[in-house]
Amino acid sequence: MSRQAPLVIDNGTGYTKMGFAGNSEPSFVFPTVIATHQSASSTSSSTGGSGSARAPPPVASKPGHLASKRGIEDLDFFIGDEAVANSKTYSLHYPIRHGQIENWDHMERFWEQCIFKYLRAEPEDHYVLLTEPPLNPPENRENTAEIMFESFNVQGLYIAVQAVLALAASWTSSKVSERTLTGVVIDSGDGVTHTIPVAEGYVIGSSIKAIPIAGRDITYFVQQLLRDRGESGAIPPEDQLKVAEKIKEDYTYVCQDIVKEFKKYDSDPYKYFARFSGEHSVTGRKYDLDIGYERFLAPEIFFNPEIYSSDFLTPLPEVVDNVIQTSPIDVRRGLYKNIVLSGGSTMFKDFGRRLQRDVKAIVDGRIAGSEVKSGGHMKSSGLEVNVISHKRQRYAVWYGGSLMASTPEFYNVSHSRVDYEEYGPSLVRRFSVFGSAT
Amino acid sequence: MILLESHNVIVHDVLTDRFEKPSRADIQFVDYDNVRFHLSTPDSKTVLLLSMGIQCWPDLVKYGARDHLEKTFEGLLLSQGETEPEYDVSLRIDLEQIPQDPESRNALIDKIAHFKSTAMSAPFISAFEEQASLQANYKDAAGAQQMDVQPQEAKGDLKVVKYREEEAIFIQASHDRVTIIFSTVFKDETDRVYGRVFLQEFVDARKLGSLQNAPQVRYSNREPPLEIRHLPGLKNGEDWGYVTFVLFPRHFANPAQALATINRIQLFRDYLHYHIKCSKAYMHSRMRYRVAEFLKILNRAKPEVAVPQEKKTASGRTFRRQ
Repeated sequence: MSRQAPLVIDNGTGYTKMGFAGNSEPSFVFPTVIATHQSASSTSSSTGGSGSARAPPPVASKPGHLASKRGIEDLDFFIGDEAVANSKTYSLHYPIRHGQIENWDHMERFWEQCIFKYLRAEPEDHYVLLTEPPLNPPENRENTAEIMFESFNVQGLYIAVQAVLALAASWTSSKVSERTLTGVVIDSGDGVTHTIPVAEGYVIGSSIKAIPIAGRDITYFVQQLLRDRGESGAIPPEDQLKVAEKIKEDYTYVCQDIVKEFKKYDSDPYKYFARFSGEHSVTGRKYDLDIGYERFLAPEIFFNPEIYSSDFLTPLPEVVDNVIQTSPIDVRRGLYKNIVLSGGSTMFKDFGRRLQRDVKAIVDGRIAGSEVKSGGHMKSSGLEVNVISHKRQRYAVWYGGSLMASTPEFYNVSHSRVDYEEYGPSLVRRFSVFGSAT
Repeated sequence: MILLESHNVIVHDVLTDRFEKPSRADIQFVDYDNVRFHLSTPDSKTVLLLSMGIQCWPDLVKYGARDHLEKTFEGLLLSQGETEPEYDVSLRIDLEQIPQDPESRNALIDKIAHFKSTAMSAPFISAFEEQASLQANYKDAAGAQQMDVQPQEAKGDLKVVKYREEEAIFIQASHDRVTIIFSTVFKDETDRVYGRVFLQEFVDARKLGSLQNAPQVRYSNREPPLEIRHLPGLKNGEDWGYVTFVLFPRHFANPAQALATINRIQLFRDYLHYHIKCSKAYMHSRMRYRVAEFLKILNRAKPEVAVPQEKKTASGRTFRRQ
């Protein structure tokens, strides 16, 4: 029997990306949200995992035929976009918080519909590749394995770390010459940006840094800039956020020198200012606005965070440098050589180039400093800094998963059903890295 | 979601997107019952090629699937020679020749999204037709004999569709009914128990007044039912279950109803396994709830540890008593 393509499911805090291995894009991308009929207050306890204040699932109330014993409330739910559309009559729950699964009841049902309604696959015939955030506790992996093997009877399971998959996705870039699993992943989604060093497929947990600036902040910043320049008067209030998002996605880029860019804009505004025309979503009234400095200022908050936030002031290149400097010394060279971008908020034009330049400047400065300190006795052979951006950046994690799962090796490193029955859920505490050329 | 949808969501979504603005595509995906799809744009952006590989294609062809597909997808279906290698049937959709108004566009998308179910429906349709002709002949014969001898039951051929590796659908038309038998295998012992309870529900549910018109369902574990017992190679182990549906002419009286019946019944095996999984998920949430409750009780039993209290002087400074 020809094996069927493994399912690749990447459940993120904001969005779930899923599809079949071997494709270049996920078949479905929708919010990780589930709409159930239970009252919203029932999941108010989010910290305890299995919350204490949660209402019990419905039970049999009267004897008689099994059919009349209980309803089908547990099947009455929606996920993804449909959940958002039904949010008036159902209550929404986000089963994943900060990358980690908080509510297993909801997550199990979420997967139920992912597989049966959207992917339309019989899980008994497929291998499954799931992703996890770095520093996921092993208990969570065990729970995941229990659900996958015992509820869904999957043939095999592999749980991969998102950062490692993002590294694998970068192999498609022409800049990459060897398939290595050592590098720094800059993963910037909607809520938070992470800088994660990975050495030979293993995450260096102690050096991970989170930056509280990500896609949503850029949108707010664009909105704020528009308001400051007095452009937002033309935009209907309910559309402001949407317009700001559109501007962020379509018009912005990273400049190499902010002062020069300002001068350029001021000397010839007609050339550089862009026009945006929108339509009121309700009345259909047309409106136009000018997009000026926000084109290059918006992504600038990564490099000069002080223009947006007053409590987080470390620029991204400095964070990256810090992360590498706190990693073990023998992998630092490899980390500098392979800085990989992943996630939608790293898609700005020239983002990689600017980052590479800034990191390089920090590194060269330090090398020059220590050369001087040694009194001219030591000479550095230089250090290679490489920031890799590629076409699949937006869904890099999913794409990496799809790539890994379509190799024949995948079947050897996954945990198979037979193994699970032999060893139980603790099986997934051990995992093998694969795919690198070395 | 109680019933599984009969159309393929990926086909639907991708076509809706591509009909609006053509772009390149190369997507491979699957559907229930070992069906593989490949959607690609081999020559130009505006020509989509949708190929399908079905495991039971040889069986389906025997029962007229190709003719049926040709009738439904007139002008889209590629001939056998042009079919993409490694797949069984291909459709070519030229985006420059699709209807412009949104309504007929949606109808076309919907039709293509039902590609798999259309192919699978061929044996059912031919069985329904067979039943109609048997019924007509049976009446004549009975009239001629004037009811003086026990009329011989008229039966059509037994159609076998091996839709999965080990599982099959058996369809047999008689003069007054169409019998459909599913054989299914439970890989897990727990599944078998759930499956038995679930199928027992079907039998029980029929006792409710509102469901009197539903098709009759029988479930037998281990032993294949009498209709197919003579067939060679049937498995009868602990893991095997046989589900029998008896459809009466009223279940496929008009084409729309027949289509609805077919779309539901061909997904029955997946429906069964989906619900087994849902039941397990439900059980698991009950278990988690119970564990949380027990933990609460256990936590109550924890002895309180006396924390040495910090004392403060009148001026607000703290000191620790030695």
